[in-house]
Amino acid sequence: MAVLDPYTVPLTRATAAHLLRRATFGPTPAEITALVGQTAAQAVQSLITNGNYNPPPPVELDENQPGAGEPFLDKPFNGGRNFQFGYAIKYWWLGIMSQQTGAPALLDKLTMFWQNHFVTTRTVVDDYRFVDRYLRLLRNNALGNFRSLVIAVSKDPAMLRFLNGNENEAGSPNENYARELQELFTVGAVDFAGTKNYTEEDVKAAARILTGWNYTNFWTEGSTSFETTFTVSRHDTTDKLFSSHYNNTRITGRSTATAGDQELTDLVAMLLAHPQTARFICRKLYRWYVNPHVTQAIEDTVIVPLALFFASPANDFAIQPVVVKLLTSQHFFEAANRGCIVKSPAELIVGSIRFFGQPIPDMTTDYVAFGKLLDFMQWRMDQLQMNTLDQPTVFGYEPYYQTGYSKNWMNTTTIAMRNEFTDALIWRWLEVKPGYNMGIDVLAWATSLQADFNNVPSATNPSGTPAITCETILAAFIADLFATDLFQRQKDFLIDTIMMNSLPRTSWGFEWNAYRTALITNSGELSWRQNSVTWRLQNLMRYTLRLAEYHVF
Amino acid sequence: MTRRDFLAASTAFTVPVMLNGFGLKAMTRQSALVQSLMQSGAVNTDRVLVIVYLNGGNDGLNTVIPLDQLPTYNTLRSPIALPENSLLRLQGTDKMAFHPAMTGMRNLYNDGRLTVINSVSYPNPDQSHFRSTDIWMTAANADVSLTTGWAGRYLEDRFPGYPVGFPNEQMEDPLAIQIGYLTSTALLGSQQSMGVAINDPEAFYQLVGAGEPTSPNDIPGGDAGTLISFIRLQQALAVGYAGEIKNAFDAGQTLGTYPLENMNNSLAEQLKIVARLIHGGLKTKIFFVALGGFDTHSGQIVNSPVTGPHADLLGKVSDALYAFQEDLRLQGTQDRVVGMTFSDFGRRANANASNGTDHGVAAPQFVFGSSVRHQVIGTNPNLSDLIESYGGNKDVKMQIDFRRIYADLLNDWFETGRAKADNLLLHNFPTISLFSDVCETLTSGPWNSPTTWTVGRVPMSGEKIRVNAGHVVTLSDVVSVRSAQVQGTIRYGAGGKIRITG
Repeated sequence: MAVLDPYTVPLTRATAAHLLRRATFGPTPAEITALVGQTAAQAVQSLITNGNYNPPPPVELDENQPGAGEPFLDKPFNGGRNFQFGYAIKYWWLGIMSQQTGAPALLDKLTMFWQNHFVTTRTVVDDYRFVDRYLRLLRNNALGNFRSLVIAVSKDPAMLRFLNGNENEAGSPNENYARELQELFTVGAVDFAGTKNYTEEDVKAAARILTGWNYTNFWTEGSTSFETTFTVSRHDTTDKLFSSHYNNTRITGRSTATAGDQELTDLVAMLLAHPQTARFICRKLYRWYVNPHVTQAIEDTVIVPLALFFASPANDFAIQPVVVKLLTSQHFFEAANRGCIVKSPAELIVGSIRFFGQPIPDMTTDYVAFGKLLDFMQWRMDQLQMNTLDQPTVFGYEPYYQTGYSKNWMNTTTIAMRNEFTDALIWRWLEVKPGYNMGIDVLAWATSLQADFNNVPSATNPSGTPAITCETILAAFIADLFATDLFQRQKDFLIDTIMMNSLPRTSWGFEWNAYRTALITNSGELSWRQNSVTWRLQNLMRYTLRLAEYHVF
Repeated sequence: MTRRDFLAASTAFTVPVMLNGFGLKAMTRQSALVQSLMQSGAVNTDRVLVIVYLNGGNDGLNTVIPLDQLPTYNTLRSPIALPENSLLRLQGTDKMAFHPAMTGMRNLYNDGRLTVINSVSYPNPDQSHFRSTDIWMTAANADVSLTTGWAGRYLEDRFPGYPVGFPNEQMEDPLAIQIGYLTSTALLGSQQSMGVAINDPEAFYQLVGAGEPTSPNDIPGGDAGTLISFIRLQQALAVGYAGEIKNAFDAGQTLGTYPLENMNNSLAEQLKIVARLIHGGLKTKIFFVALGGFDTHSGQIVNSPVTGPHADLLGKVSDALYAFQEDLRLQGTQDRVVGMTFSDFGRRANANASNGTDHGVAAPQFVFGSSVRHQVIGTNPNLSDLIESYGGNKDVKMQIDFRRIYADLLNDWFETGRAKADNLLLHNFPTISLFSDVCETLTSGPWNSPTTWTVGRVPMSGEKIRVNAGHVVTLSDVVSVRSAQVQGTIRYGAGGKIRITG
């Protein structure tokens, strides 16, 4: 398993950035710096250890509501706030992904993988407590054991609702969950060669095994708890026989109070024993983390060995070792695997918020500002076809399964919407709170690059510090920004055509120094001098973020 | 003289007068429309197809209800069965009726602007949403996986090389437009989607950066380079098409009356944009619109069998299609636009215990527009002859392979020719005479057998028939038809006779 052998070269800025872009929603420059010199194994271990399993719970975000700023999950069910609390949970999760106060962790990127795998949606589940429990189940077990996770998800109240498991009973089966459990959650519909992995009869047999489950207190006003129940009288107690795809397994029908659990355990054991299950999961992880383009060679040299490892008796479907093996492999760090995925809206939006150091207001103490920023982010993601916790179908977001994979994020409409988002970073029209407009302060950024700002060269001060050059500014603006390097012609284009609008580059020095002088002397020219340099810097950054290169990672 | 004949015959381009409000922009540009109309074999370049995707698998048996089998229908789906007195009766038939929410589609049917195609599916049906939708969109056999869409293949054949070199003089508008944010598999060509997605023509123009300089075209190698080129191409297309789409949108008008925006009928909103773009002269060949929510496993009815989510959905489809057709009629464009619905699959014939229906097999689909020539293709599903499976589950059997609809759309609507249609669909699919008023024989057989005829049913007295060469039709009853053409043989049994009504 050569290509899965560990990558042992100490991380450079480029390889550290690659790891962080893939394992998280995108790094800050400081996070990249912190990983340089570490081995991949050390870096991935820290990304695991840094996971915060006890973040503060979501709060009421509307300042006009009773209990504003307070957690609501510990209170009785409040139907009147069901919709808003559901959104508060979305914002809570997006907020965790976006904050930059703690050390970077891979937990939520992996949680999103599982959420897009074991899909349920806020819209259909429709009880905010169910959504919360489901999301925490995935988050707490994202690095745990796949077998336990499949079993737990199968009984999770949100999933029972989403795929009608609660309506599946002896004599009148509802096959929805039984089908998706096989097609989407475990074995997959077909193998890599396109051969079917199970039959319609297998769907029906699995549905019978899964009869008898339900949940309590859905949307029950004032209720303080809810749980999964199993009712043996609703359970199909006969034996269930599966096809040759599952070695003609017969699962014994049970009729005691634990029948549901026993048969579910048998069912999951059978599904996981199917050789395609481990491959299906590993292939999907590979597409998530490494490259959506899975060739026959990749199937043979990466997916198959990784799946063997995943399903090996020693590993027994533990997830963490598989993620570690993949993210620390030589193959992962190959240059060919950089820039080969189109950024999802999460990677674009959360990634930009993080990269450009836009602070996430404290959810508990500064909840109004928090809500405002997260509202903006959530709405953009929704427009770009990635509504958090609200996939369009049980298959997940289209670009993770549809032909073309991540290319599907990009079409003429989403390009326009992506431009609208990156433009917002430039124009800074969103006031998160007084004194904090979301976006990039390009003028402050350029100013920080200028040594000796107040020592402006002139006829009377020939030893003044020269103006920063266009090249210096561009180099700073694009440092760590792209997964691939820009060509010199592109850099020249950005400077000459976009920033300088075909004026000679030396004009920049005059304009910048004039602005320095105007600022120091607070002259009457300050306003337009400042506008003219700001306009160039904004044009430069705005166009840079519209480059195709910014949309791959 | 039809408008097309006029255009083909005319050398003086007095077209704008003829079109009266339609496509002034297109005409003043010596547009591709006029140019290609003048080229031989391309007289139908102004024909448009609108594909309406009902996402999730529509419950066919509660859409078109077999009046002739109501007792069986009621037994199969007692909790959700529509009461007989609620059903919408159709002119000229006492065998089938529509869901009470479908008044608009009932009107279209009665006007001869809507064809019901019964029991549409494909051999070896798949009940996975994903796979079955893929089969519908790619027109693949159930055991074959294809990576191009059926409509995409047509467009790629018609406009080779796309998207390189597009937009251009001959085709300055998008080949296909999907209203929304994503493009569907049906529009996939071999390299990329043949369609563009737009949500709001105005905002689109503002945001794509029309008029801005373009970056040098250097690309890195490998998969990253492939993606970067792909994105740049999308950017260029967006810019290239933004102005054309906006112009058409501005030039077009909404003449019909659509459901109010607060009705949340997103299908109507999408079709309203489509109609306006058509009216504004956009030369796009295929429009794709969608409405979701048809995966009604549970609670498809609420309070009564005629209310609830499924009724709401059918009401939206019906209102939207009717408003769209009326808009096109008022525009004078109805003769060059045809639409079709499709859905993942039908739903079970029997209801489940949750007032819903699970994934099934065959279901009726609709083709709409003034060009359709028959109100019904195929016969009612036989509810006493269903596919049975474990748990007493029963599914409707297929009568019409969906690819026969595609074959007629390609061959008769887009006039690709028979060989090309077969080629694009990878097989030879016989016509269902969607656009022909003649019911032809498909094979030798008894007159009274539905399978003898292209229309999948016995010809009606007002219809023309043709017995094709080599076919032998046996007839032992007295039948009435409008006209009969016999290239093959009719073998008359005792009492067999054809009465020509003329």
